[in-house]
Amino acid sequence: MADTTMGSAGARPTLFLRNATGLVKAWSTFDAFVYSFWSVNLITLGLYGMSFAYGFPDGQLLAGVLLTGVLVTFLVITYAGLVSVMPRTGGDYAWQSRILGGGIGFVLAITGWWFTLWLWTPIYANILVAQFFAPLAYTLGWTSVATFFTTPGNGVFVACLVVLAFVSLVVTLGMETYARIQKICFWIGLVGLAVTCGLLLFASAQDFQNAFNREATSLFGAPAGAYQATIDAASKGGFAGHDFSFFSLGPTILLLPILAFYLLWPNWGATLYGEVRGAKDVRKPFFSMFWGLWVTVALVALVIVLMAKTMGWQFYNSANAAYWNSVFAVSGAPAPPVPIWPYPVMFAGWLVDNHLFQALLIVVMGLWFFGWAGTLFLSSTRVIFAAAFDRVLPSWAANISAKRRVPYGSLILMIVPSLVVSAIWAYRPSFQTIFLDATAVIAITFLGTTIAAIILPWRRKDLYDASPIAKYKIAGIPTITVVGVITAAFLVYMLWEWSFNVVYGTAFSISLSSPVYFGFTYLLAIVIYVAAYIVRKRQGIDLNRIHHEIPVE
Amino acid sequence: MPKIFFATDLHGSEMCWRKFLNAAKFYDADVLICGGDMTGKAMIPIVEENGHYTVTIASERQVVSANQIGDIEAQIRRKGYYPLHVTPKRLQELDEDADKRKETFQQVMLDGVRRWMNMASEKLRGSGVRIFVCPGNDDEMEVDDVVRESDMVELGEGRIVDIDGFRMISTGWSNHTPWNTHREETEDKLGERIEAMAKQIDDPTRAIFNLHCPPYRSGLDEAPAIDADLKLMHGGRALRPVGSTAVRQAIDKHQPMLSLHGHIHESKGAVKLGKTLAINPGSSYEEGILMAAVINLDAKKGIKSYQLLNG
Repeated sequence: MADTTMGSAGARPTLFLRNATGLVKAWSTFDAFVYSFWSVNLITLGLYGMSFAYGFPDGQLLAGVLLTGVLVTFLVITYAGLVSVMPRTGGDYAWQSRILGGGIGFVLAITGWWFTLWLWTPIYANILVAQFFAPLAYTLGWTSVATFFTTPGNGVFVACLVVLAFVSLVVTLGMETYARIQKICFWIGLVGLAVTCGLLLFASAQDFQNAFNREATSLFGAPAGAYQATIDAASKGGFAGHDFSFFSLGPTILLLPILAFYLLWPNWGATLYGEVRGAKDVRKPFFSMFWGLWVTVALVALVIVLMAKTMGWQFYNSANAAYWNSVFAVSGAPAPPVPIWPYPVMFAGWLVDNHLFQALLIVVMGLWFFGWAGTLFLSSTRVIFAAAFDRVLPSWAANISAKRRVPYGSLILMIVPSLVVSAIWAYRPSFQTIFLDATAVIAITFLGTTIAAIILPWRRKDLYDASPIAKYKIAGIPTITVVGVITAAFLVYMLWEWSFNVVYGTAFSISLSSPVYFGFTYLLAIVIYVAAYIVRKRQGIDLNRIHHEIPVE
Repeated sequence: MPKIFFATDLHGSEMCWRKFLNAAKFYDADVLICGGDMTGKAMIPIVEENGHYTVTIASERQVVSANQIGDIEAQIRRKGYYPLHVTPKRLQELDEDADKRKETFQQVMLDGVRRWMNMASEKLRGSGVRIFVCPGNDDEMEVDDVVRESDMVELGEGRIVDIDGFRMISTGWSNHTPWNTHREETEDKLGERIEAMAKQIDDPTRAIFNLHCPPYRSGLDEAPAIDADLKLMHGGRALRPVGSTAVRQAIDKHQPMLSLHGHIHESKGAVKLGKTLAINPGSSYEEGILMAAVINLDAKKGIKSYQLLNG
């Protein structure tokens, strides 16, 4: 009873607490930062995503990264605000359902967090091949293994199966075990990054050219002078880059939709903050996401500068251009001397003339994948659970096995479609354009949440007024509204570019397969909701009433 | 056939209690069941001096006049805390004397429960709606006496009650927690407590187990892992089952038609444990959101339908 008094030291007590369940100390911001940091993974998603920046030769990548960081910070503030207003039951689905309505919430959240995550399985698998299987196999001289994984068909499909098996294992092990694994991966991965950066820092441009020429011949049988041959191959494919110092604002802004591929996700764990006490304090979720984003931005800036210094900016972009030109079968583009994805970590490892060291560096940096990929379906399973508890999905979708507490219902709903999507990716490359929109659909979900945040102070005045963010205003307008409008503008800009600018490969004018596919998923979500509405109505359940507030007076 | 409205873990949130009472009309419910942990966890002093009042809510210190004090009290109650009017001298006494603090807290808390009982009478007397409350592990034993005094609200603890042909047993006791609260006991003793009631139920297809603590490893009992210092581990992402094995055994053995739980606010859900539909509607009392379940009972089917709500 009344065990604790609280108040600043030397001041009057402001609160008397009694002994009661659930009164815990807030979680460590560092722990939550680690999760956010993984979500904007600078190695897996970052290096992979930035390899497409060659397509914007007039854009300045470093400036683009910093600008994206600034704009995503508004997204972080928006989500932190929502977490602090509705901490216990947070996440896109809950926020949208409560503010915009159950139907809209279901359609936007379920497409973004369920259907679209199927597409991320082959994307993850592609990254696993590009950054782990292929470079490791080539380094160890296992050329046939490398060829197997890099050839469309069985190799790609097997990589998808590996990802699905790994994700299922993580779900089975539980987050507590995986959180421990993540921390180990985090620290060892950071050591690997430090070694990579150290190699690039202390080596000269000439050292790198020599090392590249040596290993290209040794590992890939390339003719002498592979460094220059890579630049020439890109040039013949039509690539014409600039020096690192070149800056032009318009093309730099065009890089934002590319960089969103990895910098848009510091709020990935927002669906989880609702489960912990302390989230009501707006600073905790904000700083967790903010530092996850900005530490990544800082490290990316460091890596970019070091690559420009040692590898050469022209070479880095040329290597990417030459590789992707060969993958996309660009007319007149010769095959690059090093025929696999230009993994900067592998190239940095070549500065040490020892294949065992090079392999070890790839394995250590592979922990950036394994510490990150396990949460692929984590948020999806939460959204499926929430929809099942709301009776929109059948109750079996939230079933958990008695013995190991495996959420097999939601796992089936994720894995089976992911297998189909993976098979399409592996065996029907002509359908791969739909995967380019995997970021865009989640951005639409974020946009829905952002709109919910903008109107929150009026739509759910009761909740807002009682929240710790109610006191923050800019020119008399709630800060969450102002910040939300900026975030929405940023998201709408990117959605516009993805939809209408041919340079991203997703424009409607290039192919309608992507909008048709995603249109189908939205339609499917609407059909599921309407069907559930009718079925539940017959059972005496009104889905409209789930989020209706009961009168207080 | 009765329509049950079940909510739990209101923890002193007057807004949630008002919604709970109004749910009878809003959802056309015949029976309201409050699953436990009714009382608040904190008192917030409102210090009166020199004709104004000083109070700190959510780390924000406010100095207000007498005509604003009603709003301040409502804000405090809405969050599940108790407003406590004190002079600076009284505040200092409470700060320095744990016994006085304890005595004051109990008085304020019981007054709060009494206030809620009166609200229930004013709002639902003559409506035909039955209201059950079953204090939980966070509620002191004296709460039961206040509930017993009510002419409208029925105490569930330790009783077998009939609800239109369905029989409900209730207990707010739980297995041990790291907080050493008021109604905790070993799994064996909790098992005996439940069994003493359950063995008197002859038809499990008409039975409701209203047990505050959720069954172990049911998915309704997953709480964020904490260390010995009560600090959340792994960024609050690591969840552990903390339900009761005694509750689980009782459900597995007797297979009641319905079991109602709370205790673990984060673990909202509805699961089938054999023939039993087990529900934990969760709790979001700090936000003033009443998380609840509506269950339509049917003479033939038992449970006709159910729905979890954020009211």
